[in-house]
Amino acid sequence: MKLSDDKIREIVLEAIDTLGEKATPDTVRKVVEEKLSSSIEINDSKKDLSSGRVILTSFGKNTTGIVSTISSCLSNNNCDILDISQKIMQEFFTMIMMIDISNSKKDFKEIQEELSKISEQIKVKIYLQHEDVFKYMHRI
Amino acid sequence: MPYEFEEILETIKMSEIEHFDIRTVTMGISLRDCSDRNISVTTQKIFEKIMRYGSRHVENAREIERRYGITITNKRISITPISIVGDAFGVDEFLLIAETLDKAATEIGIDYIAGYSALVQKGWTNGEYNLMKSIPQAMALTKKVCSSINIGSTKAGINIDAINLMAEVIKETAERTKENDSIGCAKIVVFCNAVEDNPFVAGAFHGVSEPEVTLNVGISGPGVVLEAIRSAGFVDMQALAELIKKTVFKITRAGELIGRKVAEKNNVPFGIVDISLAPTPAEGDSIGDILIAMGVEDVGAPGTTAALALLNDCVKKAGLMASSSVGGMSGAFIPVSEDQAMIRAVERGHLTLEKLEAMTAVCSVGLDMIAVAGDTPASTIAGIIADEAAIGVINDKTTAVRIIPAYGKKVGDYVNYGGLLGRAPIMPVSLLSSAKFVGRGGRIPAPVRSLTN
Repeated sequence: MKLSDDKIREIVLEAIDTLGEKATPDTVRKVVEEKLSSSIEINDSKKDLSSGRVILTSFGKNTTGIVSTISSCLSNNNCDILDISQKIMQEFFTMIMMIDISNSKKDFKEIQEELSKISEQIKVKIYLQHEDVFKYMHRI
Repeated sequence: MPYEFEEILETIKMSEIEHFDIRTVTMGISLRDCSDRNISVTTQKIFEKIMRYGSRHVENAREIERRYGITITNKRISITPISIVGDAFGVDEFLLIAETLDKAATEIGIDYIAGYSALVQKGWTNGEYNLMKSIPQAMALTKKVCSSINIGSTKAGINIDAINLMAEVIKETAERTKENDSIGCAKIVVFCNAVEDNPFVAGAFHGVSEPEVTLNVGISGPGVVLEAIRSAGFVDMQALAELIKKTVFKITRAGELIGRKVAEKNNVPFGIVDISLAPTPAEGDSIGDILIAMGVEDVGAPGTTAALALLNDCVKKAGLMASSSVGGMSGAFIPVSEDQAMIRAVERGHLTLEKLEAMTAVCSVGLDMIAVAGDTPASTIAGIIADEAAIGVINDKTTAVRIIPAYGKKVGDYVNYGGLLGRAPIMPVSLLSSAKFVGRGGRIPAPVRSLTN
């Protein structure tokens, strides 16, 4: 782990504050370890305040079983389908789904990877994008 | 469904087919606290500070990219004009700083770091002079460091001494990087009325009035505007303006969203969205093609300047509506080497340096990525810069010159950099001399419009 000079200085000052005169090598080590782990937690916490609603768009040549393959993949991953809209334009299949991934154990990236596997299998393009991009572009 | 079918498909079409991307997310980092009289302490502080804020910049931007399905082409870093940090140093020390910046950029995994800069519109300090003198070596020594020098402003006038010095610097840089088509010059921008929050490299720097750290975004999307104009057919000017505004509104909104999310992810405050339309060498991602789609036969035809003015104004109006933090350059960029339609127009002899100069009066920035013959005298380059600065000073706007006097090349040859910098045909320059005019030196006084109080 790399720490900057400033960070080290900060931890040292905090340790001095906490221990004062009573410092022994053992107590110093303990305090420093506590400070270190608390500062790492802050860095690693993946806070995401935006909603878990994402939009799935898929299109490609129409074949049987596209909707069922995609939706079973989603249900396997605990994704909730909120809305679905599907059209066949000439030979092309187009489907747009709004799904909620907040209950899924997998994160956005992992779900995206699962879907890209399916996408190769059934030969349709699948895009997964967070809802916000559509909200920002098409709603004031 | 809260969104229409067409709306969702429109967004996907923009990013997948029409090259809509976020051109750059640029993290601005203040290095003012890194100054020390000992050069090795200074370089260490600079390196550590850039790494502290920037080490996760690329990773975070990639995650946002994936989440929203919109490409972020470049992740970059801008820093405090380095002449301020190193004002006590000489040429050799500045070179050590340049190497440190290059090392930090490599470590983070970005292609450019910008801010090897000085603001000398009214005059230079000793440190600023040393910095300017060090630019040719610094550009030859490093790959990722970009330099910009502000030589004029509406409030201060035009510093002709600085222009003369920079013309020499550009010539020397061309020679020092002659093995690579004088690529060093592609990393030097000479500004007038430089802005402090510009996210676009090579001219980016983190201005002195900026906070400790901030994140600025530059959007792009000429391809989207081009497609909208093409599909609209033959409509009148008002309808055309309306169409461009609506399109740019949408891409600016997306830009603002991405910027805010990357800033949030990096835990730094969000700065501005620069709503410039910036082309890339990719086919169709071109400002020149937009002008042609608007109706001029080729870039450079009479009417080109008016078409560009209409485009630029619509971009601004839409951007202002779409974001409450518009800044930077915010206009349309017309770099020659980075835009296929512009390259073609130059090759056919339709677009000259003089017409380009007129176009820069109505769009953002100026003579950008222009290659000229290697034997162009420094005084002629100084004259070109002075003309461009005059347009900026009198019209109270940013102008810039990024000119490449390609060493050993003449009209008919090409410089070829590949990637985003593209390739440029060597353009003919007037053979009339400016030497006696710029040779007078001194400073052109600030114009009447500077007295606004």
